[in-house]
Amino acid sequence: MPLSRSLSMSSLSGLPLWEEESLPVEDLYLFEIAWEVTNKVGGIYTVIQTKAKITVDEWGENYFMMGPYYEHNFKTQVEQCDPPSAAIKIAMDSLKNSGCQVYFGRWLIEGSPYVILFDIGGAAWNLDRWKGELWDTCGIGLPYHDREANDCLIFGSLIAWFFKELTDQLQDKPNVIAHFHEWQAGAGLVLSRSRKIPMATIFTTHATLLGRYLCAGNVDFYNNLDKFNIDREAGERQIYHRYCLERAAVHCAHVFTTVSQITAVEANHMLHRQPDVVTPNGLNVKKFSAVHEFQNLHSTNKAKIQEFVRGHFYGHLDFNLEKTLFFFIAGRYEFSNKGADVFLESLSRLNYLLRVHKSDVTVVVFFIMPAKTNNFNVESLKGQAVRKQLWDTAHAVKEKFGKRLYEALLKGEIPDMNKILDRDDFTIMKRALFATQRHTLPPVTTHNMLDDSTDPILTNVRRIGLFNNRNDRVKIVFHPEFLSSTSPLLPMDYEEFVRGCHLGVFPSYYEPWGYTPGECTVMGIPSVTTNLSGFGCFMEEHVSDPSAYGIYIVDRRFRSADESCNQLTQFMFSFCQQSRRQRIIQRNRTERLSDLLDWRYLGRFYIHARRLALSRAFPDTFKMDTFVPPPVSTTQGFRYPRPQSVPPSPSASIHSTPHHSDEEDEEPYDEDEEAERDRQNIKAPFTLGAVPPGKKKQPGEYGN
Amino acid sequence: MISFSFLLFLTEADQAFVTLATTDAYSMGALVVGKSLRRHGTRKRLVAMVSPNVTREARLSLEEVFDEVILVNVLDSQDRAHLSYLGRPELGVTFTKLHCWTLTKYSKCVFLDADTLVLCNVDELFDREELSAAPDQGWPDCFNTGVFVFIPSLETHGQLLQHAAKHGSFDGGDQGLLNSFFSDWALKDISKHLPFVYNLSVSALYTYLPAFYKFGHQAKIVHFLGGTKPWHFRYNQQTNQISPGDLDRILEQYVNLWWREFYSHTQQQVIKADSHPDTGLTQHSFVSRPRQSEKKSAPAQAVSTLQTSSPPLDTQGTVAETQTKEEERSLELRLLTLDEVSSEQPDSSVQTSPSEQPEEMHTHPKDVSGPEAEYSAYADLHNPAPGQGGTGREPEAAGGSPTPSEEPAPEPTPVETEEEKQQHRRMWEEGHADYMGKDAFDNIKKKLDRFLE
Repeated sequence: MPLSRSLSMSSLSGLPLWEEESLPVEDLYLFEIAWEVTNKVGGIYTVIQTKAKITVDEWGENYFMMGPYYEHNFKTQVEQCDPPSAAIKIAMDSLKNSGCQVYFGRWLIEGSPYVILFDIGGAAWNLDRWKGELWDTCGIGLPYHDREANDCLIFGSLIAWFFKELTDQLQDKPNVIAHFHEWQAGAGLVLSRSRKIPMATIFTTHATLLGRYLCAGNVDFYNNLDKFNIDREAGERQIYHRYCLERAAVHCAHVFTTVSQITAVEANHMLHRQPDVVTPNGLNVKKFSAVHEFQNLHSTNKAKIQEFVRGHFYGHLDFNLEKTLFFFIAGRYEFSNKGADVFLESLSRLNYLLRVHKSDVTVVVFFIMPAKTNNFNVESLKGQAVRKQLWDTAHAVKEKFGKRLYEALLKGEIPDMNKILDRDDFTIMKRALFATQRHTLPPVTTHNMLDDSTDPILTNVRRIGLFNNRNDRVKIVFHPEFLSSTSPLLPMDYEEFVRGCHLGVFPSYYEPWGYTPGECTVMGIPSVTTNLSGFGCFMEEHVSDPSAYGIYIVDRRFRSADESCNQLTQFMFSFCQQSRRQRIIQRNRTERLSDLLDWRYLGRFYIHARRLALSRAFPDTFKMDTFVPPPVSTTQGFRYPRPQSVPPSPSASIHSTPHHSDEEDEEPYDEDEEAERDRQNIKAPFTLGAVPPGKKKQPGEYGN
Repeated sequence: MISFSFLLFLTEADQAFVTLATTDAYSMGALVVGKSLRRHGTRKRLVAMVSPNVTREARLSLEEVFDEVILVNVLDSQDRAHLSYLGRPELGVTFTKLHCWTLTKYSKCVFLDADTLVLCNVDELFDREELSAAPDQGWPDCFNTGVFVFIPSLETHGQLLQHAAKHGSFDGGDQGLLNSFFSDWALKDISKHLPFVYNLSVSALYTYLPAFYKFGHQAKIVHFLGGTKPWHFRYNQQTNQISPGDLDRILEQYVNLWWREFYSHTQQQVIKADSHPDTGLTQHSFVSRPRQSEKKSAPAQAVSTLQTSSPPLDTQGTVAETQTKEEERSLELRLLTLDEVSSEQPDSSVQTSPSEQPEEMHTHPKDVSGPEAEYSAYADLHNPAPGQGGTGREPEAAGGSPTPSEEPAPEPTPVETEEEKQQHRRMWEEGHADYMGKDAFDNIKKKLDRFLE
């Protein structure tokens, strides 16, 4: 049962202490500006929403988020209230008096931060004038057909206007830090700077506009990073104005940050500025007071997936469910950006390997990627119905059997085994068996696809021939819809499903951060990622032997596609060869990494960025030399050590025969001992004020 | 003169949009058609055909927007038309419309009914062949003749007249005639079927509302089919709204848009009539302030010291003033004022008078410079937000009204650079930034560095 989390980290106590003095937050205002504040459009929403808690803990009443006002969002997510500070109220009133609508309230998420929301539509009548101002400022014009860009300019102009009014009120104290996210907020930064508004500015890009476009266009991106003529690429893709806004914001910001090392490389080439700080994305990690509760959750949820598999593969259940591993890939349906191409190719190789090794392990692979469908297909639903019918038949026979057994015992005799089931019972069972015979293979997809013939996953499945044949050791289930606990087919939500699986596989090509493997990690599920994803880079940097901790990092940057496929195949094959005990140990280690992904650790990078921005904007008041040098580089961070006990990796534990039972697993392993060793290797924890005791985490906060 | 020739270069002179006004009321519509085409930066010529019963005043006001205003008269046209007409007098208006085929100085034309409203640039229509048109909502195997692409030709014109004389029109109007003449439209070549968004009948919305919600934002030309035309509604210029409740919301929004378009041009003329009926040269004032937006809830104080040379801000006061002036004027009054304008300028032949040429060349960039001003009104339409007023383009006129003694200062060089700047900005706004040349980011960076130091 999930319980509240205590402040003490459960399995691992150590993260390095930051020897920075905390900022004098009572003399500062922090504003965080993003298009997705209270407005879920894409991934930035998750970042901002989960980070709010730790920022509020640090800044209290002096922290404000700013976003666009949409009536529906406001009604459902915000509780209106009065601004706590007179200066903010005056600044808001000044906008209101000029005919623009501004709203203030508390965002109803964890930490309940203050939000200031600007009505875009209500201020649209200024658009022409503001376009003129932007034009005079930097010579960037916005095409009138690009509605989003025009909205962003209105938003940015309102923000800059607000800051002007606010800083006129505040004069020198408190100083203002404004943290802008993504290009949509960029105009606000550029305009604020051009009007010489006295504040420290930070600009964070989560992915570059151009990088995303180039990768989506199947360009060999990372090998040609330095060769692109970026002005031309942006111009040819009709996004030149957006690209200019983004670059202008990057150029004007006091501090520029991005979310991962790989995006830093990208930004260096696509935006021509090296990020000052890398600010990785975190999660609010849910901890259970019971040790290894996540292992119990794994087994209960695994049982649910097994039920589904029994139905889906009825008539073909000649594999041992106890020796069946569940792999999955999930996310937006971007076939090559998410690495589904590499994954499918590797699965075909894995199938071959498992067959030639005569392995008794079966792998069922789930593709959870929403595509256009016409709802569930009959064959899948029938599978679940058949399973239910067999269950009912077995149950009915069992009842009769039990009754006769009971009666026989009452008479004081051992029942005659030949008579305990009569002909009727056999008839019922035979009828049930005949009814459940199937002449087709178990379906690859659970839904009727609209673009069946051109769907990239299905066409590749056809190419590699993984049709769920009896002798295939790799079976594929393509679920082209997000999971839901009300589904008649697989009634689980995403979190439950992830917990029930054994391995998440995310061999992405373009993934500035990548929450999916992170979510696996904090649930104690091993995952495959790549060194092109922000998450993979981060783990490579912080963990000495990531695969021992259940983070397999495929090299897609310096290897050819074929080599990457081989590497991924090898990872999966070795995973299949682990014993159950080895997998349990690996999950424990994986789960131990979750502290690393907690905002309470990762939030410090944001703290550092703010400090740096202050020292640049107000060099007289805030001197950087009193601060500890930036902890960005690898050497300054900490690394999880290589586990002391023999890692569960196959190189050490390949057995001469594929038939090895858990009993012959003789690796020395002591969970407590190992956790203690980790603890000693790592410095004391970094804490950000007290967490209110008994504060419950909401379930399902992992997005998706 | 440099800018004038530049504009000529932009205009593709052998292709034209054509509209037709047969009454004074329809000429209001024609005015809006022309104005909305200009606003969206068309590069084609604009031609208005007017029938003899249209008053000279209305015709003159059309001349300010259109490149060419042509008087068409069935009875003194070519003999064959005359004869056909005598045989079929009930087709009078239809014959007038057929006149468009005689505009042979143009290689291709697009006809727009006077009760249409253009929402974005539709120059791509000229890529189509004769005869391209959108299906009629009532009988989709027939095309609607509110919007169609044709190639002027005297031969076709003659055949049409012959056809009319012989077969008449099955619906008594031009649509029946053209549909039976171009009878292979329905089956032969699908590329001649214009998408419905080029001729969106507002009255069709009720029959398929979900489709409108799905595709309505793509509408390019709205056609106010049916007996009630936008000019039949009373428009309150203070609120920028027609009296609410008269009709459903969607139609109401489009009618509001139509009125805003109407006023974006005509109010300026009204003021001209009020303040200096003799010169008509106040148009110069908006050259120096080409992009101002009206302020909806403007403060009430009257700023009357505005000069044409003042920065393009703070015009709210006068706008409010102008609006109050306009407030109680009903539609009929406005029409009257329209008449006054022209009657007080008896010899204002705008197109020909050499002294007025500079004015003409300034009005053009102004007319086409601000398609984005429509943006907010358009956003209003498709994303209605409470309390959001519309945008009008009245302030240009407001700048002129309190300065009656203003001389038509020629100032060629500053105007020119301003002109170029406008042109440059417009290129961006049409998505044609010169990203490999003067708009390269390094140049933008230099601009940024000016204030970052």
